[in-house]
Amino acid sequence: MEDLWYQLPPLAQDALLLVGLLLPVLLIAAIVLRGYAPGPLIGALLRRFRWANLVFVLLIALSVGMSIGLIAQERGLRIGMAQAADKFDLVVAAPGSEMTMLLAAVFLQPSDVPLLSGATYTAIATHENVEIAAPLAFGDSYKGSSVVGTIADFATYLSDDRITGHLWTDPFEAVAGAAAPVALGDTFTPAHGHGAAAEQGAHEGVRFTVVGKMARTGTPWDTAILIPIEAVWMVHGLANGHPLSAGDQIGPPFDPDLFPGTPAIVVHTSALWANYALKSEFSRDNETMAFFPGTVLANLYRIMGDVRQAMSVMSGLTQVLVAASVLLGLSILTRLFQRQTAMLRALGAPRRFVIAVIWSYGVTLLAAGTALGLGLGLGAATLLSWLVTHRTDVLVQASLGWNEVHLAAAFLAITSLLSLLPALVLLRQPITNGLRA
Amino acid sequence: MGLSLRVEGLEVPGPDGRVLLRLDTLSLPAGARLGVRGPSGAGKSTFLYAIAGLMHGARGRVAWEDTDLLSLRTEARTRFRAETIGMIFQDFLLFDELGPMANATLTAMFHPRRRRAPLRARAASLLEQLGLPETPRPVATFSGGERQRVAVARALAADAPVLLADEPTASLHREAADRLIDDLAELARARGTTLVAVSHDPALLERMDQVITLQDGGLVPEDTVGAARTARETA
Ligand SMILES: Nc1ncnc2c1ncn2[C@@H]1O[C@H](COP(=O)(O)OP(=O)(O)O)[C@@H](O)[C@H]1O
Ligand SMILES: [Mg+2]
Repeated sequence: MEDLWYQLPPLAQDALLLVGLLLPVLLIAAIVLRGYAPGPLIGALLRRFRWANLVFVLLIALSVGMSIGLIAQERGLRIGMAQAADKFDLVVAAPGSEMTMLLAAVFLQPSDVPLLSGATYTAIATHENVEIAAPLAFGDSYKGSSVVGTIADFATYLSDDRITGHLWTDPFEAVAGAAAPVALGDTFTPAHGHGAAAEQGAHEGVRFTVVGKMARTGTPWDTAILIPIEAVWMVHGLANGHPLSAGDQIGPPFDPDLFPGTPAIVVHTSALWANYALKSEFSRDNETMAFFPGTVLANLYRIMGDVRQAMSVMSGLTQVLVAASVLLGLSILTRLFQRQTAMLRALGAPRRFVIAVIWSYGVTLLAAGTALGLGLGLGAATLLSWLVTHRTDVLVQASLGWNEVHLAAAFLAITSLLSLLPALVLLRQPITNGLRA
Repeated sequence: MGLSLRVEGLEVPGPDGRVLLRLDTLSLPAGARLGVRGPSGAGKSTFLYAIAGLMHGARGRVAWEDTDLLSLRTEARTRFRAETIGMIFQDFLLFDELGPMANATLTAMFHPRRRRAPLRARAASLLEQLGLPETPRPVATFSGGERQRVAVARALAADAPVLLADEPTASLHREAADRLIDDLAELARARGTTLVAVSHDPALLERMDQVITLQDGGLVPEDTVGAARTARETA
C-alpha cells in the first residue's frame, strides 16, 4: 500500500490527498442531505443573517488567507533564494564564515574578508573540468549598486549570454545588470565602500563607460555593475595581474605573482562530480575554504524550518480560534433560529433534516470563507513577494501550491465536522420550549 | 379523510414535575371539529402539543385511530406528524424571507421525493383557493391575515387528515379573523379533516362541532357538545 502510494506521480498524490481531506465534508453532506431538498431554507438563513454572515465569511477568509499567505510567501522566498544561488555552484574563499561569504557572493552583501592568492586562483582556474573560475572583487559601489570586479566570462555566464551591447574590451568599460542605475552609454565614477560609509571622492578621475547591459536574472546581481577586475586593482593602486609584456590584456590567464588577490572565486565546472573533487581539494585549513551555496542555504532552511514550524503552529492555532469563534457565533445565530427549528419539528421534520439545514448553512459560510481566504492568501503573498523583490532584488514569486490548498481543505474538513455541533445542541432542546418562546 | 382521536388518562408533567394537564377521557370522531377554550395558562397549548406527540414525558394514551402516539419514540412521532398532522400557530411562524409558495411547500423539503410534486400542486391550489397572490415576494410584506392563510396552506399542503390550530385568529383583526375562520371551516369540511382549534374567539368556536373548556390543567366537566350552542348564543 505504502509502496503503491510512493509509486504515484506527485500530482496524483496531491490530488488524492485533497480528495481525502475533502472526503469527510462530502461524506457528511451525503449523509445529512440524502433525500432532502433544504436549499430554500438555507437561502433564507443566509439572507436573514446576511450581515453576521458577511462578517463570518470575512473573518474566516482573513485567518485562512493569513496562514496561506505566510506559507506561500515563505516558499516563494525559499525558491527565490535558491534561484539566486543557482549560478553559484561552488565558491572558494579564504577560511572564515561560509554564511558571510554566501551573503557577499550570492546576495552582494559584502564585508571585509581576507583575500585569496594568485597561486590559488591559478590552481583553480587551470584545474581540469573547471569551465569558469571567476574572481569577484567587491568593495566599490555606485548609487547604492555594487560595482564588482570580475572577468568577462562571468558576465556571459551570469546572464546566459543575454547581453545588450557588448562585453568590455577596455579596463574602464562596464557591463551593468538589468536593474542597475545606469543605462547603456552612461559613464560613472564608483565610490569606495558601500552605503552611508561610501567615500564618494576616493576614485576621483576614474570614469567607467557602460558598454553592455545584462538581461534580468531575478537575482540581486540584477542591480550590480560588473567591471574588469584589472580596473579594480588599478584604481586601488595595485598590480593589474598581467606582466607588462601582456600589453593591454584583460581577463585570464593572470600572472600569479602579479595577482593582488580576490576575496572570492565562483567556480563552474563541466561535471557535477568535479564540484565535489574541487570542494575537497580546496577545503584546506588556514588556506582556503570551499562550499556549495546551495548546501549552506539548505542548512539555513533547516534551522529556519523550526521557526517555520512555530509559525505554522501559531497560524494553525489562530485558525482554530477563529473557527471556534465562528462556531460560537453560529450557535448564537442558530439559537435565534430556535423557534423555526421547533416549528419544523412540529410539522414533522426529522432531526436529520434540521441538522442538514443548520450544517449546510454553516458549511456554506465556511466554504465561502475558505475560498475567499485562498484568494486573499494569494493576494497577500503576491504583495509580500513584491515587497521582498523590491527590497532585496531576490525575485520572489508567490503562487498557490498544493500545500496551501491542502491546508485550506483540512481547515474546511475540521470546521465542517465541528459545524454539526450547533445543530446537535439545538436538537437537545424540547420542541415545545421553542414553540412557546 | 380525517382521523378519530381518543385520549385516555393523559397526564402531562412540566419540566419541574408538576402536572400541567390531566385529562381522563376525550373522544373525537373522524372529521370532527373540536374547539378548546379556557383562560390563559389553563393548559390549552399543552393539550394541543400533547395530542401532537410533542410533549415529552406525557403519560397515558393519545390514539389517532389505532396509533397510540405516546407509545412511539421521538422520530416515529415526528414521522407520524409529517404524514398526519398539520399545525397552525398564533404568530404564523413562517419564513419571512421566503414567498408564499416556498412557505406553503416547506414540508416538501423533507418529504420523500415522490410526494413533492403532488404536495406542490396541492399547495398551489390551496394558495389559490385562499385568495393569495401568486408572487415570490417574501411573506414579510404580507398582512397578518394573508400570512395566516399561507400558514393554513402549509398545514394542509401535505394532505394531512388532522389539523391542529393554536389560537389561529388571535393575531388578526376582526375582518381577517372572520375570513380565516370561513376558510378554515370550509377547507376542513370539504376534506373531512379532523380539526382541533384552541381559541378564545366565539366566532371560531361557534363553527366547531364540539367545544371543551380547560381550566387549571383540567377539563371543566359540563362542557360538552352543548358548549357550541352556548357559544353561538352568546356571540
Ligand atoms: N416550559 C414551561 N415550563 C414551565 N411551565 C410551563 C412551561 N410551559 C407552560 N408552562 C405552564 O403550563 C401551564 C399551561 O400552559 P399553556 O398550555 O401554554 O397554557 P395556555 O395555552 O392555555 O395559555 C401554565 O401554567 C404555564 O405556566
Ligand atoms: Mg397557549
